[in-house]
Amino acid sequence: MVSVGTVVWLSSELMFFAGLFAMYFTLRSTSGELWAAETSKLNFPYALVNTIVLVASSFTCQMGVFAAERLQPRRTGGLLRFTRWGMVEWYVLTFLMGSFFVAGQATEYTMLTSEHVTLDANAYGSSFYITTGFHGLHVIGGLIAFLFIIGRAFAAKRFGHFEATSAIVTSYYWHFVDVVWIGLFLVIYVLK
Amino acid sequence: MKIESWLFVGLGIFFLIVSAVYTVVTHFEPAGSLALLLVGGLGVMIGTYLGFTARRVGSRPEDRSDAEVHEGAGEQGHFSPWSWWPLVLGLSCAGGFLGLAVGFWITFVAAGLAIVALVGWVFEYSRGDHAH
Repeated sequence: MVSVGTVVWLSSELMFFAGLFAMYFTLRSTSGELWAAETSKLNFPYALVNTIVLVASSFTCQMGVFAAERLQPRRTGGLLRFTRWGMVEWYVLTFLMGSFFVAGQATEYTMLTSEHVTLDANAYGSSFYITTGFHGLHVIGGLIAFLFIIGRAFAAKRFGHFEATSAIVTSYYWHFVDVVWIGLFLVIYVLK
Repeated sequence: MKIESWLFVGLGIFFLIVSAVYTVVTHFEPAGSLALLLVGGLGVMIGTYLGFTARRVGSRPEDRSDAEVHEGAGEQGHFSPWSWWPLVLGLSCAGGFLGLAVGFWITFVAAGLAIVALVGWVFEYSRGDHAH
Protein backbone atom coordinates (compact mmCIF):
# COMPACT_ATOMS: atom_id res chain seq x y z
CA MET A 1 0.00 0.00 0.00
CA VAL A 2 2.89 2.34 0.81
CA SER A 3 4.52 1.32 -2.47
CA VAL A 4 1.43 2.08 -4.59
CA GLY A 5 1.14 5.48 -2.89
CA THR A 6 4.79 6.17 -3.63
CA VAL A 7 4.35 5.35 -7.32
CA VAL A 8 1.29 7.61 -7.56
CA TRP A 9 3.30 10.42 -5.96
CA LEU A 10 6.23 9.75 -8.31
CA SER A 11 3.88 10.06 -11.29
CA SER A 12 3.04 13.57 -10.06
CA GLU A 13 6.77 14.23 -9.85
CA LEU A 14 6.95 13.17 -13.49
CA MET A 15 4.52 15.99 -14.31
CA PHE A 16 6.68 18.41 -12.31
CA PHE A 17 9.63 17.55 -14.54
CA ALA A 18 7.33 17.67 -17.58
CA GLY A 19 6.91 21.36 -16.85
CA LEU A 20 10.67 21.84 -16.70
CA PHE A 21 11.24 19.91 -19.96
CA ALA A 22 8.49 21.96 -21.63
CA MET A 23 10.16 25.18 -20.45
CA TYR A 24 13.53 24.04 -21.77
CA PHE A 25 12.20 23.08 -25.21
CA THR A 26 10.06 26.21 -25.54
CA LEU A 27 13.04 28.49 -24.85
CA ARG A 28 15.23 26.36 -27.12
CA SER A 29 12.78 26.68 -30.02
CA THR A 30 12.64 30.48 -29.68
CA SER A 31 16.39 31.18 -29.28
CA GLY A 32 18.33 28.67 -31.35
CA GLU A 33 21.47 30.81 -31.81
CA LEU A 34 21.85 31.33 -28.08
CA TRP A 35 21.60 27.54 -27.59
CA ALA A 36 24.28 26.89 -30.23
CA ALA A 37 26.66 29.32 -28.52
CA GLU A 38 26.03 28.25 -24.92
CA THR A 39 25.88 24.47 -25.32
CA SER A 40 29.39 24.50 -26.81
CA LYS A 41 30.64 25.44 -23.32
CA LEU A 42 29.33 22.17 -21.83
CA ASN A 43 31.90 19.57 -20.83
CA PHE A 44 30.40 16.37 -22.23
CA PRO A 45 32.96 13.77 -20.98
CA TYR A 46 32.78 15.22 -17.46
CA ALA A 47 28.98 15.03 -17.39
CA LEU A 48 29.10 11.52 -18.85
CA VAL A 49 31.30 10.25 -16.00
CA ASN A 50 28.93 11.85 -13.50
CA THR A 51 25.96 10.24 -15.24
CA ILE A 52 27.57 6.80 -15.23
CA VAL A 53 28.15 7.07 -11.48
CA LEU A 54 24.51 8.02 -10.88
CA VAL A 55 23.20 5.22 -13.10
CA ALA A 56 25.52 2.73 -11.36
CA SER A 57 24.18 3.92 -7.99
CA SER A 58 20.73 2.70 -9.07
CA PHE A 59 22.18 -0.80 -9.43
CA THR A 60 23.85 -0.70 -6.00
CA CYS A 61 20.55 0.60 -4.60
CA GLN A 62 18.73 -2.37 -6.13
CA MET A 63 21.25 -4.73 -4.51
CA GLY A 64 20.31 -3.05 -1.21
CA VAL A 65 16.64 -3.73 -1.99
CA PHE A 66 17.35 -7.42 -2.57
CA ALA A 67 19.10 -7.51 0.82
CA ALA A 68 16.14 -5.72 2.45
CA GLU A 69 13.75 -8.25 0.90
CA ARG A 70 15.87 -11.00 2.48
CA LEU A 71 15.39 -8.99 5.73
CA GLN A 72 19.16 -8.76 6.03
CA PRO A 73 20.23 -5.34 7.36
CA ARG A 74 23.96 -5.97 7.89
CA ARG A 75 26.76 -7.90 6.20
CA THR A 76 27.54 -11.46 7.24
CA GLY A 77 31.12 -11.54 5.91
CA GLY A 78 34.08 -9.17 5.76
CA LEU A 79 33.71 -5.59 4.51
CA LEU A 80 35.16 -6.40 1.08
CA ARG A 81 33.04 -9.52 0.49
CA PHE A 82 30.23 -7.61 -1.18
CA THR A 83 28.30 -10.81 -1.98
CA ARG A 84 27.57 -11.04 1.75
CA TRP A 85 26.56 -7.39 2.11
CA GLY A 86 23.33 -6.38 3.79
CA MET A 87 21.07 -3.44 3.00
CA VAL A 88 23.09 -0.95 5.08
CA GLU A 89 26.36 -1.56 3.19
CA TRP A 90 24.69 -1.28 -0.23
CA TYR A 91 22.82 1.88 0.78
CA VAL A 92 25.97 3.49 2.19
CA LEU A 93 27.69 2.80 -1.15
CA THR A 94 24.69 4.26 -3.00
CA PHE A 95 24.80 7.29 -0.73
CA LEU A 96 28.50 7.84 -1.52
CA MET A 97 27.88 7.55 -5.26
CA GLY A 98 24.94 9.97 -5.05
CA SER A 99 27.13 12.39 -3.08
CA PHE A 100 29.79 12.06 -5.80
CA PHE A 101 27.17 13.07 -8.35
CA VAL A 102 26.04 16.13 -6.37
CA ALA A 103 29.64 17.20 -5.73
CA GLY A 104 30.44 16.71 -9.41
CA GLN A 105 27.47 18.81 -10.40
CA ALA A 106 28.49 21.59 -8.00
CA THR A 107 31.98 21.56 -9.56
CA GLU A 108 30.42 21.68 -13.02
CA TYR A 109 28.36 24.71 -11.96
CA THR A 110 31.51 26.57 -10.88
CA MET A 111 33.21 25.69 -14.18
CA LEU A 112 30.23 26.97 -16.16
CA THR A 113 29.94 30.10 -14.03
CA SER A 114 33.56 30.93 -14.84
CA GLU A 115 32.52 30.76 -18.51
CA HIS A 116 29.67 33.21 -17.83
CA VAL A 117 26.85 30.69 -17.93
CA THR A 118 24.88 31.90 -14.91
CA LEU A 119 21.31 31.70 -13.68
CA ASP A 120 20.55 35.32 -14.58
CA ALA A 121 22.75 35.66 -17.69
CA ASN A 122 20.24 34.60 -20.34
CA ALA A 123 17.45 32.15 -21.16
CA TYR A 124 19.91 29.27 -21.60
CA GLY A 125 21.51 29.82 -18.20
CA SER A 126 18.11 29.98 -16.52
CA SER A 127 16.78 26.82 -18.13
CA PHE A 128 20.04 24.92 -17.58
CA TYR A 129 20.27 25.71 -13.89
CA ILE A 130 16.55 25.35 -13.17
CA THR A 131 16.28 21.90 -14.80
CA THR A 132 19.54 20.44 -13.49
CA GLY A 133 19.21 22.33 -10.19
CA PHE A 134 15.76 20.95 -9.39
CA HIS A 135 17.05 17.50 -10.30
CA GLY A 136 20.02 18.05 -7.99
CA LEU A 137 17.66 19.04 -5.16
CA HIS A 138 15.79 15.77 -5.73
CA VAL A 139 19.07 13.84 -5.52
CA ILE A 140 19.90 15.62 -2.24
CA GLY A 141 16.42 14.73 -0.95
CA GLY A 142 17.13 11.11 -1.88
CA LEU A 143 20.45 11.21 -0.02
CA ILE A 144 18.66 12.46 3.12
CA ALA A 145 16.10 9.67 2.69
CA PHE A 146 18.91 7.08 2.49
CA LEU A 147 20.31 8.40 5.78
CA PHE A 148 16.89 7.96 7.40
CA ILE A 149 16.53 4.43 6.00
CA ILE A 150 20.00 3.47 7.25
CA GLY A 151 19.13 5.06 10.60
CA ARG A 152 15.94 2.99 10.82
CA ALA A 153 17.92 -0.18 10.12
CA PHE A 154 20.28 0.67 12.98
CA ALA A 155 17.40 1.57 15.33
CA ALA A 156 15.61 -1.74 14.77
CA LYS A 157 16.56 -4.69 16.93
CA ARG A 158 14.59 -6.92 14.56
CA PHE A 159 14.76 -5.78 10.94
CA GLY A 160 11.27 -6.53 9.65
CA HIS A 161 8.83 -5.62 6.89
CA PHE A 162 8.34 -2.14 8.37
CA GLU A 163 12.01 -1.31 7.69
CA ALA A 164 12.12 -3.22 4.39
CA THR A 165 9.05 -1.43 2.98
CA SER A 166 10.50 2.02 3.55
CA ALA A 167 13.81 0.88 2.04
CA ILE A 168 12.02 -0.40 -1.06
CA VAL A 169 9.95 2.74 -1.65
CA THR A 170 13.07 4.88 -1.22
CA SER A 171 14.68 2.82 -3.99
CA TYR A 172 11.65 3.58 -6.22
CA TYR A 173 12.31 7.26 -5.68
CA TRP A 174 16.01 6.83 -6.41
CA HIS A 175 15.36 4.93 -9.65
CA PHE A 176 12.86 7.59 -10.69
CA VAL A 177 15.33 10.43 -10.08
CA ASP A 178 17.93 8.41 -12.00
CA VAL A 179 15.62 7.96 -15.01
CA VAL A 180 14.78 11.68 -14.98
CA TRP A 181 18.51 12.42 -15.07
CA ILE A 182 18.98 10.13 -18.09
CA GLY A 183 16.25 12.18 -19.82
CA LEU A 184 17.85 15.46 -18.78
CA PHE A 185 21.30 14.24 -19.83
CA LEU A 186 20.07 13.22 -23.29
CA VAL A 187 18.26 16.54 -23.75
CA ILE A 188 20.92 18.87 -22.38
CA TYR A 189 24.23 17.18 -23.25
CA VAL A 190 23.42 14.98 -26.26
CA LEU A 191 20.58 16.73 -28.11
CA LYS A 192 21.82 20.24 -27.13
CA MET B 1 -6.56 -5.42 -9.40
CA LYS B 2 -6.33 -5.87 -13.17
CA ILE B 3 -9.13 -3.35 -13.75
CA GLU B 4 -7.25 -0.55 -11.96
CA SER B 5 -4.19 -1.43 -13.99
CA TRP B 6 -6.03 -1.28 -17.31
CA LEU B 7 -7.75 2.00 -16.38
CA PHE B 8 -4.40 3.74 -16.00
CA VAL B 9 -2.67 1.97 -18.89
CA GLY B 10 -5.63 2.86 -21.12
CA LEU B 11 -5.44 6.47 -20.00
CA GLY B 12 -1.71 6.45 -20.73
CA ILE B 13 -2.14 4.98 -24.23
CA PHE B 14 -4.88 7.53 -24.97
CA PHE B 15 -2.61 10.43 -24.05
CA LEU B 16 0.34 8.98 -25.98
CA ILE B 17 -1.87 8.96 -29.09
CA VAL B 18 -3.15 12.47 -28.32
CA SER B 19 0.46 13.64 -27.91
CA ALA B 20 1.45 12.17 -31.29
CA VAL B 21 -1.55 13.80 -33.02
CA TYR B 22 -0.86 17.12 -31.28
CA THR B 23 2.81 17.03 -32.31
CA VAL B 24 1.94 16.43 -35.96
CA VAL B 25 -0.86 19.01 -36.11
CA THR B 26 1.19 21.79 -34.44
CA HIS B 27 4.53 20.85 -36.08
CA PHE B 28 6.01 20.12 -32.62
CA GLU B 29 4.88 22.83 -30.28
CA PRO B 30 7.17 21.84 -27.38
CA ALA B 31 5.17 22.68 -24.23
CA GLY B 32 1.97 20.85 -25.18
CA SER B 33 3.63 17.93 -26.96
CA LEU B 34 5.90 17.18 -24.00
CA ALA B 35 3.20 17.70 -21.38
CA LEU B 36 0.82 15.32 -23.19
CA LEU B 37 3.60 12.79 -23.77
CA LEU B 38 4.44 12.72 -20.08
CA VAL B 39 0.76 12.53 -19.05
CA GLY B 40 0.84 9.35 -21.13
CA GLY B 41 3.91 8.36 -19.15
CA LEU B 42 2.04 9.07 -15.90
CA GLY B 43 -0.80 6.71 -16.86
CA VAL B 44 1.47 3.93 -18.11
CA MET B 45 3.70 4.25 -15.02
CA ILE B 46 0.86 3.86 -12.50
CA GLY B 47 -0.89 1.22 -14.61
CA THR B 48 2.23 -0.90 -15.05
CA TYR B 49 2.99 -0.78 -11.34
CA LEU B 50 -0.60 -1.73 -10.47
CA GLY B 51 -0.23 -4.61 -12.94
CA PHE B 52 2.84 -5.88 -11.08
CA THR B 53 1.05 -5.42 -7.76
CA ALA B 54 -1.95 -7.37 -9.11
CA ARG B 55 0.32 -10.27 -9.98
CA ARG B 56 1.91 -10.14 -6.51
CA VAL B 57 -1.24 -9.93 -4.36
CA GLY B 58 -3.39 -12.21 -6.54
CA SER B 59 -7.18 -12.16 -6.47
CA ARG B 60 -8.78 -9.93 -3.83
CA PRO B 61 -12.37 -9.87 -2.53
CA GLU B 62 -12.70 -6.45 -4.23
CA ASP B 63 -12.24 -8.16 -7.61
CA ARG B 64 -15.34 -10.38 -7.19
CA SER B 65 -18.94 -9.24 -7.32
CA ASP B 66 -20.09 -11.97 -4.88
CA ALA B 67 -17.56 -11.17 -2.11
CA GLU B 68 -18.63 -10.51 1.49
CA VAL B 69 -17.32 -7.63 3.61
CA HIS B 70 -15.69 -9.95 6.17
CA GLU B 71 -13.47 -11.52 3.48
CA GLY B 72 -11.50 -8.26 3.36
CA ALA B 73 -10.90 -8.33 7.13
CA GLY B 74 -7.42 -8.51 8.62
CA GLU B 75 -4.36 -6.32 8.61
CA GLN B 76 -4.40 -3.82 5.75
CA GLY B 77 -0.99 -2.31 6.37
CA HIS B 78 0.89 -0.20 8.88
CA PHE B 79 -1.04 2.97 9.75
CA SER B 80 -0.16 5.46 12.43
CA PRO B 81 -3.22 5.87 14.73
CA TRP B 82 -2.17 9.42 15.58
CA SER B 83 0.96 11.53 15.31
CA TRP B 84 1.95 15.11 16.09
CA TRP B 85 4.93 15.11 13.70
CA PRO B 86 3.07 15.97 10.47
CA LEU B 87 1.73 19.08 12.21
CA VAL B 88 5.23 20.07 13.35
CA LEU B 89 6.64 19.49 9.84
CA GLY B 90 3.78 21.44 8.28
CA LEU B 91 4.35 24.37 10.64
CA SER B 92 8.08 24.38 9.91
CA CYS B 93 7.36 24.42 6.14
CA ALA B 94 4.94 27.30 6.66
CA GLY B 95 7.62 29.08 8.68
CA GLY B 96 10.16 28.46 5.93
CA PHE B 97 8.02 30.16 3.30
CA LEU B 98 7.04 32.93 5.72
CA GLY B 99 10.76 33.59 6.14
CA LEU B 100 11.23 33.89 2.37
CA ALA B 101 8.49 36.53 2.31
CA VAL B 102 9.18 38.66 5.40
CA GLY B 103 12.64 37.96 6.83
CA PHE B 104 15.22 35.36 5.93
CA TRP B 105 16.24 34.59 9.55
CA ILE B 106 12.87 32.87 10.12
CA THR B 107 13.79 30.34 7.40
CA PHE B 108 16.85 29.22 9.37
CA VAL B 109 14.75 28.65 12.48
CA ALA B 110 12.16 26.77 10.40
CA ALA B 111 14.86 24.60 8.77
CA GLY B 112 16.08 23.53 12.20
CA LEU B 113 12.51 22.73 13.25
CA ALA B 114 11.98 20.78 10.00
CA ILE B 115 14.98 18.56 10.78
CA VAL B 116 13.58 17.84 14.26
CA ALA B 117 10.15 17.08 12.76
CA LEU B 118 11.54 14.78 10.06
CA VAL B 119 13.67 12.81 12.52
CA GLY B 120 10.73 12.59 14.91
CA TRP B 121 8.36 11.40 12.18
CA VAL B 122 10.70 8.85 10.58
CA PHE B 123 11.76 7.29 13.89
CA GLU B 124 8.38 7.52 15.65
CA TYR B 125 7.76 3.76 15.30
CA SER B 126 11.40 2.75 15.83
CA ARG B 127 11.99 4.06 19.35
CA GLY B 128 10.47 4.45 22.80
CA ASP B 129 7.37 2.30 23.38
CA HIS B 130 7.44 1.19 19.73
CA ALA B 131 11.07 0.03 19.68
CA HIS B 132 11.26 -3.36 18.06
